Amino acid sequence: MMQQQTILVTGVAGYWGARVAQRLLAESGLHVIGIDATPPQELPEGLDFVQADIRNPLMTELLKAERVDTVCHLAFSDSRRRNEANFDLNVMGAMKVFGAAAQAGVRKIVYRSSTAVYGALPQNPAYLSETHPLHGSKQYGYTRYMVEIEEFCNGFRSQQPDLIITSLRFANIVGETAVTPLTTLLRGKVAPVLLGFDPMMQVIHEDDVIEALLHAIRHDAPGAFNVAAPGLMPLTRILALTGVLPVPVLHPLAYWGVQNVRGRFSPARLLPFDPDYLRYRWVADTRKMETELGFTPQYSMEETLRAFATFKRARHTTADDDDALELDKERLRHTLERRQRQRARREQQKEAAQ
Amino acid sequence: MSSQDDGHEIPVQDEEISNEELRQKLAAELDGLIARMKELDPHYEPPPFSPQGMISFIEKSLRHLAPTLRLEILEKARQLLSEDLFDIETWKGVWYLINYNVKYQIDFVRRRLTGEYETDEWGLDWELVEAIRPFLGFMYRYYWRTRVTGLENIPDYGRALVVANHSGQLPFDGAMIGTAIYNDHPSQRLIRNLYASWFPTLPFVSSFLERMGQVMADVDNGVRLLENDELVGVFPEGYKGVGKLFKDRYKLARFGRGGFVKMALQTGAPMIPTAVVGAEEMYVVVHKSETLARLTGFPYFPISLRFPWLGLLGVIPLPTRWYIDFGQPIPTAEYGPEAANDLILVSQLTNQTRNIIQQMINDRLAQRRSVFL
Repeated sequence: MMQQQTILVTGVAGYWGARVAQRLLAESGLHVIGIDATPPQELPEGLDFVQADIRNPLMTELLKAERVDTVCHLAFSDSRRRNEANFDLNVMGAMKVFGAAAQAGVRKIVYRSSTAVYGALPQNPAYLSETHPLHGSKQYGYTRYMVEIEEFCNGFRSQQPDLIITSLRFANIVGETAVTPLTTLLRGKVAPVLLGFDPMMQVIHEDDVIEALLHAIRHDAPGAFNVAAPGLMPLTRILALTGVLPVPVLHPLAYWGVQNVRGRFSPARLLPFDPDYLRYRWVADTRKMETELGFTPQYSMEETLRAFATFKRARHTTADDDDALELDKERLRHTLERRQRQRARREQQKEAAQ
Repeated sequence: MSSQDDGHEIPVQDEEISNEELRQKLAAELDGLIARMKELDPHYEPPPFSPQGMISFIEKSLRHLAPTLRLEILEKARQLLSEDLFDIETWKGVWYLINYNVKYQIDFVRRRLTGEYETDEWGLDWELVEAIRPFLGFMYRYYWRTRVTGLENIPDYGRALVVANHSGQLPFDGAMIGTAIYNDHPSQRLIRNLYASWFPTLPFVSSFLERMGQVMADVDNGVRLLENDELVGVFPEGYKGVGKLFKDRYKLARFGRGGFVKMALQTGAPMIPTAVVGAEEMYVVVHKSETLARLTGFPYFPISLRFPWLGLLGVIPLPTRWYIDFGQPIPTAEYGPEAANDLILVSQLTNQTRNIIQQMINDRLAQRRSVFL
């Protein structure tokens, strides 16, 4: 490698930023700059940390001075709250980062988005393609702001034809460590559902989120991509597999409660989704991910949920428990199966290349 | 009780007991079982035994099992046949089957609660389809005494689009077309009827339709299904058809915007015009109330001779005699997929299909002598 490639990761003190930076640092020939308004609790070895707000006007100078090649934008607030602070961080933050990147001559931007931007509507087709209009929830802060960012990006792409902007729209993220709407629902013993509704849902494993972001950093793929694990399941099966007891709520009551009850007893605290997302189908088409992005998730939907269930049960057993060994065996078996499949796939790709 | 099974552990027989003891034990157990069954339904007469009946029963029971499991069971059955029919092994086999069935019923509930079941990408759940089949079969055979012609026009495999008239206020016609093909067609295909986007907003209805393998009406969905070589059913009249007044019965409404023709052209699937006669007289609707429709959020609110005056009693359909006629397929492959954008051709084919179905309905009406007999 003649010149060291510089990659800037925003929100490096956050969960996604920290994990992506860690993985990038493990690769040779990369200069990884991490930026965040607050320093991370433990600084990863070799990370070039810069303490700054992403909305800082001097961002352009930093990007220019460091000759940044790729910006991986992960500084988003996942909060469901709608307020000025979240709007400013998510929407204005993204616009300022993208603007600075364009001015500084950055080659590529990769950022994390969500399939929730399409919205959950009764007239949704079974599979939502990347070109489907964005009707995401206006009630749920993160989704509302993400729709704005995606719409801004569509215009920005045509203004900046040389800048590669890759938006990865992830399905419901599930994993042991990530905190997402669906994991919030699945971590408990009971979960509210809407009486008589059982939409088909999609998930993606947290490790595959990291893999997909790294894949997009390594390979150039302009445009938006839906990223989801293969397989679909009805919501009740997701809950059953992860050992959660569904508590049905009349849907008009759920809508009314989320709209009108504030404070400690607000159902929004129990319901990490806009009720529409538990009512209608919002499944994304992943054909573009497979063909144009060339990315294949390691975990299928069923494996993702079974892994989560194993982890959840393991939390309730102690080391000297009889169950602990069984759980450990189960987990190792899943891992072995997955690795076997990965090896087979790699060999297949090698054969195809030859 | 139907005997749909799935791959589950088989109860292991205890080998310690001698054959004679086992024989006595079995006889006692079977007597007990017979007594219990008789208590449940005193008038039950088992169907007369015949080899053909037995074979078709086995075929039906095995249809949804994995191929390897199917082979294993068939081989086991074949082995049993070659031996003495009164051998203790036969009884072991019978006992095995009964056990298997009981275990299955218990397992069914347990597996629902632990999430150990499968649905396809559209939400189809075969176990629930099988569970609801007896009811639909009853309505099809004994309540509406449906007479079906032209089943040979439905291909054994491969893509096809069934285009039918819509009537009867509640979409029983779709269910009966599905039952006719599933029960009486040699390849027993499951039809994917496309339903209106109002149904996903209704609790229970939305998930029920999904589990039955039905799909929301959308050109993308239809094309995807046909590309997977599925059998798709459409009712292009939509609400205008299903909510017809009694005085307008059997007059076809406008055939939507020709979305179904676009699906067929894009995928080269043949269109099978289908006429359903009898469903129009299920309810005698004299008026449609717009005020009540607005209040309830229904796309239409029928006022019939019995509904809403008699409440739920008014929802029970009349036992009219139904006829389902599947017509000659209309080929579309010759036009090529680009023809889907040819609006003139689309509207021509739409009208052509509509005229064929209207003609089929008129022919059937001319032959029909009574609504009920």
